[in-house]
Amino acid sequence: MILAAVLVWQVVLAACVPLLSRRLGRDAGYPLAAGFLLTAGLLLLPLPVVLADRTVTADWRWLPSLDVSAALRMDALALVFALLVLGVGALILTYCPRYLGREASHTRTYLLLTLFATAMLGLVLANDLLVLFVFWELTSVLSFVLIGQGRPAAGPPAVRALLVTSGGGLALLAAVVVLTLELGTSDLGRILAEPERLKGGPAWAAGALVLVAAFTKSAQVPFHFWLPGAMVAITPVSAYLHAATMVKAGIYLLMRFSTLFGGQPAWKQTLLVVGLLTAVLGAFLALRQYDLKALLAYSTVSQLGLIVGVVGVGTPASDAAAILYTVAHALFKATLFMLVGIIDHEAGSRDIRRLSGLHRIMPATAVFTALAAATMAGLPPTIGFVGKEAIFEALTEAHHPRWTAPLAAGLGVLASVLTFAYAARLVHGVFTGPLRQQGLRPPPLAFVAPAAVAAVLATALGPAVTLLSPLVERAANDARPQGDPPYLAFWHGFTPALGLSALTVGLGTLLFVFRARADRLLRRLPTSTPFAVWFEAGRARLLRLGALVARPARAAGPATFLLRPVLAVPLLAVVAAVGLGPLPPPVGDATRPGDAVLLVLLVVTLAGLVTVRSALGAVGLTGTVGLLLSVWFVTAGAPDVALTLMLVEVLTTIVVMLVLRRRPPRLPPGGAPRALLAGAVLAGATGLAAAAGTAALTGRRDLSAPGGFLLAEAAPITGGSNVVNTILVEFRALDTLGESVVLAVVALGLVSLSDRVARAGRETPAGPADPVLVFAHRLLAPVMLVVSGLLFVRGHEEIGGGFIGALLAGTAVGLGHLAYAGSPAPLLGRLRTRPLLVAGLLLCLGVGLAALPLGRPLLTLGKVGLPGGAALPFSTSLLFDLGVYLIVLGLIVAAVRRLDVPTRPAATGERR
Amino acid sequence: MSAAVAVGVLVAAAVHLLLQRGQLRVILGFVLLGHAVNVLLLSAGGLDRRAPAFDGAGAEVADPLPQAFALTAIVISFGITLYLLGLLSADGPTGGGEKETGDGPSATAGGEGETGGGPSATERGAGGGER
Repeated sequence: MILAAVLVWQVVLAACVPLLSRRLGRDAGYPLAAGFLLTAGLLLLPLPVVLADRTVTADWRWLPSLDVSAALRMDALALVFALLVLGVGALILTYCPRYLGREASHTRTYLLLTLFATAMLGLVLANDLLVLFVFWELTSVLSFVLIGQGRPAAGPPAVRALLVTSGGGLALLAAVVVLTLELGTSDLGRILAEPERLKGGPAWAAGALVLVAAFTKSAQVPFHFWLPGAMVAITPVSAYLHAATMVKAGIYLLMRFSTLFGGQPAWKQTLLVVGLLTAVLGAFLALRQYDLKALLAYSTVSQLGLIVGVVGVGTPASDAAAILYTVAHALFKATLFMLVGIIDHEAGSRDIRRLSGLHRIMPATAVFTALAAATMAGLPPTIGFVGKEAIFEALTEAHHPRWTAPLAAGLGVLASVLTFAYAARLVHGVFTGPLRQQGLRPPPLAFVAPAAVAAVLATALGPAVTLLSPLVERAANDARPQGDPPYLAFWHGFTPALGLSALTVGLGTLLFVFRARADRLLRRLPTSTPFAVWFEAGRARLLRLGALVARPARAAGPATFLLRPVLAVPLLAVVAAVGLGPLPPPVGDATRPGDAVLLVLLVVTLAGLVTVRSALGAVGLTGTVGLLLSVWFVTAGAPDVALTLMLVEVLTTIVVMLVLRRRPPRLPPGGAPRALLAGAVLAGATGLAAAAGTAALTGRRDLSAPGGFLLAEAAPITGGSNVVNTILVEFRALDTLGESVVLAVVALGLVSLSDRVARAGRETPAGPADPVLVFAHRLLAPVMLVVSGLLFVRGHEEIGGGFIGALLAGTAVGLGHLAYAGSPAPLLGRLRTRPLLVAGLLLCLGVGLAALPLGRPLLTLGKVGLPGGAALPFSTSLLFDLGVYLIVLGLIVAAVRRLDVPTRPAATGERR
Repeated sequence: MSAAVAVGVLVAAAVHLLLQRGQLRVILGFVLLGHAVNVLLLSAGGLDRRAPAFDGAGAEVADPLPQAFALTAIVISFGITLYLLGLLSADGPTGGGEKETGDGPSATAGGEGETGGGPSATERGAGGGER
């Protein structure tokens, strides 16, 4: 239960951010940090349980049909990562208030950081593959948003980070699918408990996919290039996401799946090779940087590589070393980022060549930077020293095949030597030498405090590492249950690992002393790794391919691409004529004597429509076609359809008139004679095909089974006698809801379209009111409204309903708009699109959801009994229909007001 | 048979409009296509039974399900028509027709002169700048 409570509490914290931010401004970070610490405290409550090799679990049925449940589980491994997320999170949130500007609003940053911590917690606590994947993706997306917010220059690196990490996310999804299909469950606990069930091809596939996912997230070669790019984010984000936590998600994934794949030599070798290569390459690149943040970014790449390599050794000692170093790295790297942020903030630069002598101004910052850098370099007595020792010890144990151990240890030492060199360079470059900048001031105490806490903690935890030992050992056992790791201690005696540490310090010192010569050598190496270039080239090529595929759809005129689907109709008819077997005979007589009259009128009207050159004439004739069809629908037994169509035609005509008022009165010529002829031939062929299709495929069976059911049962079930209306608001209410959403989207689209036009400044003042129309409006609008209400209310029993009622009310709105020429008309002139849409959607959804607590499926509508035994006098479907009514009315209001751009008074905001 | 004829002439007229120049024609063609589909839907329900579907079944009562579909289709195509009109209106008062100088079947027509009484060159420039 406590796990769910923790996640809920985090979400509550996130929900409080807007309030806190409004009250406290940038200081909102302090209460949030306290909240994080509280979360950590909650997670520590079951510590004894976790240490006793039991787990805390919670689960809910999520997708019972797929046997997926929202399952959480906390063992020691999860607890270590969770504490890391929350602890570093609290430090970063105490750092933010002094880093962020005083003036701007930081709600977004705080909200995203809190949500990110929640997603990370969910990721490490997940006990179901799908849950794990969802949180994994959430972290990628939040990272993207956090990198990309603010500066426009941050866009491309943010997109690159997203592409790489979400590519890894896809790999993880594929791995989840493979594992779930192969093992028949997505329950992580069960999968890990029986690793022997996974074997053969699926094991290889899933293992490779998990590796790709982990390597992208943890920035391993060849996917490492997104991480330095991500440094365009603000420093707290870099420190939190891209040093301490998110990039550790890959490490977590590798450790979590160690039980499953760790027995494979290929898995171990891949981790070792990729990890150690990344470690060395990253360290080389870090040594070449002048920008402190870039230096730290490449350093992160390098150290993540070291951890990945150590996970690949696959012994209890190596797991413990990896976990310990993960903790150490989070501590010192977050600290260094925070301190670099302080230096950048106070001295206005992160360039190592421009900074010098800063210890004279900010001695505290200098001391803590030195402490954190010593931890990074692995000097005693820091936790970095203990971690490095453990890593060296683990690497010398790598014996698959036998010659790996010296090579692995050698690469580890090389990476560490380089690390020592750039750590020394960082401290030396920033703080020694004369003070060259004027007017600098020391950073406020509150600014340095979080970094100081972390630096002191990183130093003190070296001698006090035994405090961490029980948890780290338990976690190593959770990662790979194969015996207890050696006890972690500060002093192991004179071991080979100590020798390697001494070697590292010695060689590192030499590299630092001869830094000028080393620099010259480094400059000769190629400047950029090719992977980023390849990635960008591949992406550009993909976009070009997309443009190529989409080119036909981007013709200047619509005719070019409308031609294709139109051509498909006669082609389809030809195929059907050849392939369709014998058809059943037509049922009954589908023609009535009156049909011929209407058809003749229809043909004449359409002939006029395709030849007319007057825009007004074309619109009028189109309206006539609609009216003819609605008459025909009446004779065809569809009065609802007929009435709706008629009102739609009237409204469409009104709106078209509004649009046409300032447009040329004549249509442009249809085109060259030859093109027109070709079009006419194609039109004839398509029409023939459509007619043949209609004749061949309809009218050849009796009443459909659902139709028969609805006719017989609609009235008894719903209590409404208008079967068509009961279908709309009860049997197919979900479709109607979807349709209403479409209408709401159209209305919002119209609003934003007209806002765009209005911003371009094309308004003219409202014209004078038309006295005749005003009189007509005064007379007709109340009548129309009353009739609209009547039509709406009686919709369940007779012709009418929400659509029809709203269309009539909308006609009144349109009339009022025409009459008052843009200034608000009385009665309906004050209606606004957005409130109508919101009210309508909320009503529809509310009525639909109200069925759930009563134990019935979504959108079950009908009579509702009241506690006293009585029943509501109306069905809840009436409320649903009212929602539809409001949405349709909102759409019409949007159309009438927004499409009449040229005569609208100069205002954009007030009509929203 | 009458439904087939109605669908045929509606589709033919719609396609003829769609393939010509001018945004307004495309919109009207789209409206006609919507009508054609509605007739098709009702015809699919069987036009031999033509009594309105109130109160129970009978041999003559029309199938209510296609009618519900047609109602939905009418309202959706109304929404789309409005949006197309919105796009037309956002193109500015100069009319969308003369901008379509692409490689369509009608590319050779030089129709600008015919939009007589139309807007001035400056207005057209403003309209063009919107895109």
